[in-house]
Amino acid sequence: MTSEDDAPRLTLPPGVRFAAVGAEFIRGIAAATGIEARLAERMALIAEEVLAASPATAVAVTLALRDRRHAVRLDVVFASAELDLAGLDQSRDRDVEDAAGVGLYLAARLADHLTTEPAGRGGLRLGFDLARAYPARAVPAPPDGLGMPVGTPVDPDDATLALLVDWAEAKGAGGPAFRTAARVLDQRAAGDLFARVALDARRRPVGGLFWQPFGRRLMALAGPALLLPEGPARKALVEALLDSALAGLVRGTVQGLVVLEAAPGMKRADFEVVGHLPDAQGGHPVLFRALEEDPGGITWVAPELRDWVAGMVRRLALGRDIEASPPPARASGAAMAAETDRAAGRVTLRPLLAAADAAEVAEANVALFRGQGFSQMRALLDLGRPEHAGFAQGLLRAGLAPAALIPDAAGDLLLLAATA
Amino acid sequence: MNGFALDRLVPAHVRAFEAYVPSPPDDVLRRRFGIAHLHRLNNNENPLGPPAACREILARWDPRDAALYPQGDGWHLRRALAARFGLDAEQVILGNGANEVIAFVIKAFCEPGDNIVTADRTFAVYEWLASFSGVAPRLVPLRDDGFDDAALLRAIDARTRLLFLCNPNNPTGSWWDHARLARFLDAVDGRCIVVADEAYAEFAEDPDFPDSFALMARHPNLVVFRTFSKMWGLAGLRIGWMAAAPEVAATVRKTSISYSVNLLALEAARAAVWDVEHIAATRAHVGAARARLGALAGRLGLKMVGAIGNFAMLHLPVADTVVHRRLMARGVMARAMTSFRYPGWLRVSFGSDEAMEAFAGALEVVLAEA
Repeated sequence: MTSEDDAPRLTLPPGVRFAAVGAEFIRGIAAATGIEARLAERMALIAEEVLAASPATAVAVTLALRDRRHAVRLDVVFASAELDLAGLDQSRDRDVEDAAGVGLYLAARLADHLTTEPAGRGGLRLGFDLARAYPARAVPAPPDGLGMPVGTPVDPDDATLALLVDWAEAKGAGGPAFRTAARVLDQRAAGDLFARVALDARRRPVGGLFWQPFGRRLMALAGPALLLPEGPARKALVEALLDSALAGLVRGTVQGLVVLEAAPGMKRADFEVVGHLPDAQGGHPVLFRALEEDPGGITWVAPELRDWVAGMVRRLALGRDIEASPPPARASGAAMAAETDRAAGRVTLRPLLAAADAAEVAEANVALFRGQGFSQMRALLDLGRPEHAGFAQGLLRAGLAPAALIPDAAGDLLLLAATA
Repeated sequence: MNGFALDRLVPAHVRAFEAYVPSPPDDVLRRRFGIAHLHRLNNNENPLGPPAACREILARWDPRDAALYPQGDGWHLRRALAARFGLDAEQVILGNGANEVIAFVIKAFCEPGDNIVTADRTFAVYEWLASFSGVAPRLVPLRDDGFDDAALLRAIDARTRLLFLCNPNNPTGSWWDHARLARFLDAVDGRCIVVADEAYAEFAEDPDFPDSFALMARHPNLVVFRTFSKMWGLAGLRIGWMAAAPEVAATVRKTSISYSVNLLALEAARAAVWDVEHIAATRAHVGAARARLGALAGRLGLKMVGAIGNFAMLHLPVADTVVHRRLMARGVMARAMTSFRYPGWLRVSFGSDEAMEAFAGALEVVLAEA
């Protein structure tokens, strides 16, 4: 695995002339680091398409390939953020004469996950992730007679974590995060998953809680996976797992924990309900637990959402200056990234690039993915970033409704959702 | 300029550290939370303010003196403190609040790769200052809400340079008596510097509370911190101090910052040394406030912790961070303790009677709504 700092990188001029050089660099690094050919070829194509589509205003384009175990990541860093990358938006109409737009579209379609963030000195970083596949295998069932938890939950070694996941999978406990031990181990090794596991006197796992990055300063909590039968010991186990997770997370960068799909056993009193997500049963609560005091902040909202956000701010007793967002600097070229979960029929949209056509782009994205058969539509807007507000109008027009306000003084997250 | 790559210049331990963000000023908080008044019960301040002699100094201060540098190392104040505690003035070092003194000590004794030992649930600044100095904080779990001497001893290794003992402990108010501290110092046997942070020592009325200055004579590895922010009501002027054996103090002086304590703080603190009437009045206020808070806790069925200090903690049936916000919306600011690794607890400073009444009323409403 390569870390953030030692990943091989190559800086090239933008444009089609050096696209093949970039692609060969990716293939070479993949071969040298043991990345399988299937993923290497997709990454090389992404690099080639993005380089070819990069306008001269990009000045310089840097490629870096990282093996993150459960995923391979290609970072494309532009020295300037003043770029037209609207082609990355999958909903845009394609003009076959617009080679750059088609190239970016292909790159976005090839990736499993696409993100954008500011890079140093006014640049822009695009992150393309390709997920590794893990073969299905039979999992062993937990033994009868697991004992009471002993001591405080631990950050487990790999063998213990794998055993917990296997046993949780066999029991159907904990939810989707507690499936496929090899993937979970790889996620943890890459810094994308964290765990606390309670052990019995024989050092066997009896329950666990996971958390994974969610937005800029939050973590999404998954679980608990509980292997003990109903009773007081199981209740105490839930409490101990959460306390241990909180103790491990405080005094760091994480401001709060979000629970989008609570597994059975999660103690609701330790959280607050910050909204509801629609589901086949009529909806389920979105839970939140702040780790730090919320000193208040600014929340930027579109006019259509002002009343809803103000109502939530009152209900949650948040200290917020609610401000109308200024118009974006760019006239056009807005783009959204889509994270798809085909098994669940769910797509989650996030703003990628803001512009005055954000509303139309958002509406088109919802239509595109509905047309592809996705039944659960979600969108996540960062209300700490004024430019995100522009997407709200289109999302509302497309039938999404505000579902939850996840508090963060540096930028509340607004979760919008709709079901088909 | 093309060669400026900030990350290359920043040490990894600084890159990894999340900056502390203080709460905004009261006017901003009042606007954001839509309240007319804010009672601050979050910083363990003294509602009685500074002693009368300090007030007099502040009242007659000539603003033209703001143009002058202060004396560089608190010459007069160090002598006043030394005389009060039977020390030599060279054993006393002043800082811009006790936090700065913590930094002096870490800089004097630690280098990257060393470690400090302290508790997991205590004043956070030891851990923070060590972390962003490249020094590993070894955090030992409290036992029964107090520092665990046996576990602290086990945590000391060859790279341990400092051990921070918050006595009385913030936030639990637990404390070690003289005999226990003496036994602990015997067991440490000079392997590291032991810092007894006695920010709340003046609130301790029990005669068994350590006479740390006396212990210092037998244990030259003992450093004692004190502050003028709590009992003495000078938090806004930022002044704290430490005392140590002469050779230890001489070492810390190398890393201390001269001129960092301002004129007003030096003069006001000197006037405060050692106003026993002020101590008595503050202790009386704290005692009454603790009794009233205890009664409130009993009425609401909440566990209360806190034996010494101008604060106590309450265990809530719901998340402390939620209660913190809901109290804010009712004009009361207490301290949510999840970040102190006490999830579900709220620390309340013993403020003015009016503030304590506002807190009691607001807490009852908030818990009833929960």
